[in-house]
Amino acid sequence: MAWLSMVFTTYLFVFYFLPLVLASYHAVDHLSRRVGASSSGTCLALNALLVVASYLFYGWWNPWFILLMLGVTVVNYVCGRIIGQPGISRRLSFWVATFAVVVSLGTLGFFKYFMFLEINLNQALAWLGAGPVHVLEITLPIGISFYTFHALSYTLDVHHGTAPPVRSFLDFACYIALFPQLVAGPIIRYNTVADQLVSRTHTLEKFSSGVTLFILGFAKKILLANAMGRVADAAFGAQSLSAPDAWFGALAYTLQIYFDFSGYSDMAVGLGRMIGFEFLKNFDSPYKAENITDFWRRWHISLSTFLRDYLYIPLGGNRGGAVRTYFNLIVVMLLGGLWHGANWTFVAWGAYHGVLLAWERFQGKRSAYQRSPRPVRVAATFVLVVISWVLFRAATLHEAVTYLGAMLGQGGSGSGMLLIPALLYTRGTLVFMAVALLIVAWPTQAHDWSREITWPKAVVVHPLFCLSLMVMFSQSFNPFLYFQF
Amino acid sequence: MPIDRRAYVYLAAGFLAVIIAPGVIQTVAELRRGETPGALELFLRPPTARNLHAYEHGLEASSLVIQRLRPRMQYAEWRFLDDAGEKAVVGREGWLFYRPSVRYEVERPAIGPESDSSDPLPAIRSFRDQLQARGIRLLVVPVPNKESIYPELLTRRAQGLGVVVNEQTQHLLDELDRNGIEHVDLFQVFRRVKQDQGRTGTGRLYLARDTHWSPAGVHAAAASIARQVLAGGVLSRGDHAYSERSVVAQRAGDLVEMLRSASIKGSLLPESVVCSRVVQSDSGAPYEDRPDSEILILGDSFLRIYEHDVPGAAGLIAHLARELGRPLASIVNDGGGSTLVRQDLARRPALLSNKKLVIWEFAEREIRFGTEGWRIVRLARSASEFN
Repeated sequence: MAWLSMVFTTYLFVFYFLPLVLASYHAVDHLSRRVGASSSGTCLALNALLVVASYLFYGWWNPWFILLMLGVTVVNYVCGRIIGQPGISRRLSFWVATFAVVVSLGTLGFFKYFMFLEINLNQALAWLGAGPVHVLEITLPIGISFYTFHALSYTLDVHHGTAPPVRSFLDFACYIALFPQLVAGPIIRYNTVADQLVSRTHTLEKFSSGVTLFILGFAKKILLANAMGRVADAAFGAQSLSAPDAWFGALAYTLQIYFDFSGYSDMAVGLGRMIGFEFLKNFDSPYKAENITDFWRRWHISLSTFLRDYLYIPLGGNRGGAVRTYFNLIVVMLLGGLWHGANWTFVAWGAYHGVLLAWERFQGKRSAYQRSPRPVRVAATFVLVVISWVLFRAATLHEAVTYLGAMLGQGGSGSGMLLIPALLYTRGTLVFMAVALLIVAWPTQAHDWSREITWPKAVVVHPLFCLSLMVMFSQSFNPFLYFQF
Repeated sequence: MPIDRRAYVYLAAGFLAVIIAPGVIQTVAELRRGETPGALELFLRPPTARNLHAYEHGLEASSLVIQRLRPRMQYAEWRFLDDAGEKAVVGREGWLFYRPSVRYEVERPAIGPESDSSDPLPAIRSFRDQLQARGIRLLVVPVPNKESIYPELLTRRAQGLGVVVNEQTQHLLDELDRNGIEHVDLFQVFRRVKQDQGRTGTGRLYLARDTHWSPAGVHAAAASIARQVLAGGVLSRGDHAYSERSVVAQRAGDLVEMLRSASIKGSLLPESVVCSRVVQSDSGAPYEDRPDSEILILGDSFLRIYEHDVPGAAGLIAHLARELGRPLASIVNDGGGSTLVRQDLARRPALLSNKKLVIWEFAEREIRFGTEGWRIVRLARSASEFN
């Protein structure tokens, strides 16, 4: 079970939290400049305000988990300060960094994977004929996967000398808890925002482009992801499915997870711009990828680069020969899969991607596949990705295999198969799926589209926001998929 | 396209206006009503998870902006996208279906028991055994979902399918047989009626925009239940003479009501339903229950419709009484056919004192989605034990 925090697409966030935070933030900025405070002093005051707002945002549904996040923050801050001391030995730096990594990953491991281990241990014990151990029920704190990675990124960057140690605890707490990216990313690497924590600019252009990106993300989530989610839920919950229905459901989930997560990322980056931050792009038209390697350059870029820099390269990357490279790729993807959740389905999903990455590396650039026309490569990659989402979406491996069987025409029989079109092929579903596919194929992305605002864009964006809000008012189905990770 | 700074100003100002306006409107309206602004309630309670959640829910529920805009949006979604929201599914020929019932028909049952009270059989068996110990016979009546009887009106793909019996339902019916629990198979009954009547649009067994049956469905069910009761031999036909009077009732349909949109409701004409009200042949007074009857009928809103709703005395209870020639005792609990209605009975043990037969009706979807699940309810041996 996971606790929720405040969610961007709620009445409370849009109409109370956000206006209050923006008003306070820009009022403090304005006042600070009027009294002649330095740029860094102003930033410190703004960071303090953001820490308070972010802790309120995070602790909204369970204030006690603030303490856990604070604990991870303090440990990594202190370790970073020690590592950053001038003249510290390389050896001590290594052990302090190791301590921080163990504490952060230990926290993540305990809250996210301990129950999973217990349950699997019990299954193994049952198989051996032994009695079960008592399963400790652990509540998963929302966003823990993201903020522990943020903390790790800081400690490791400082240890490797790629970023300076933070100047104050407030700056660091702000980096860890910054509400736009706190609970569902993107994973912000410390060295990409270190400067912005000390000094950042606030301009009308940046604010407006942030507003535009936030609205586009909001619309993606409310209008497209939720509509696709209803279809996916119906298909994945169905008793029996024909092959076309199963593919339709898998396609709906493929679109749901993209618009859900990229919508969230757009909102996060947009909110960041509104308060002066510039975060990197987290999606780059992933469904236009030409192969799986390309897909991982485009999907959840902040995670794939994190795994590349902090796991794949330390494992040896491609420096140990072909076989070692394949092994590293598969290990990284397995762990990347497991990062998404304590379930064998995520492990299988990671393994699937790892094997495909290794296979592509093995095939090289001269394979028949790589020499085929680009539309064929894109379409084939898309199909492979759709299949992978089945592993990701299913509640159990058995369910995933059953669903994949349905996609191959082994979806069973029964009256349910004949009735399910009522839930899958409604007029609304078809309209939203067509729009979603059109946007997937559209050459321009929200992140880039929002950079420069012209009158036609400004005129389009407001009605889109109002429409999305009205749809939000009428919806009760409003999950955020990446919150569970 | 040239970049114009005014476009940035317009965009930022418009966004801020949109996100600030609802809170301001709400606060002004509450102050004008002499109330403390709801937004300030955050500071009046300790910040516990429960209080914060309640605060968020309260803000949304009381929002004037949401109250104004939600029905309009629902109407637009209904009008242009055939979307009937979270509760209903739009079928064909203007028919609406209850989403939980549709889900019951298409969804995979959970692997293994969802909870201790998710399996209906132990609860039904326990109820049968407790009644049997008192010398009371139990007759179970699962009422088919509307989707089971008219699948072709839910989706074109089900054209020609006839009547469907969901696997989970069939499993329960088989288990009832295996356990010697007497039940009425309304699927068979309705299948026959449907075949006889053809799909002419007249005499359909369910209402188009309601989860419940039509008067034709009530008639067919009452006749078949009565046949089975009398065939059991425990009770013979009584000597109360009832007759029927035709009454027209207007029903918007409970599915339309569930949409909670005056605009949608206003766009649909109510269904005119020709009902047969059961009256005493001698006095002409509408049928009335008799708590001291030897027959008790328990059930959900399928008993309530036409009986306690308009036009009254025209539902299953009255028609069953007419078929049996004797008044009945009844307990009705809307949406509580699985457990709640038996809990109501457990609180009224005197009602069982002279009973020979208990008829227990519940909707098919309750097999999986029963409110409070299927709990075993202990019946007090007597009123004194209950007290």
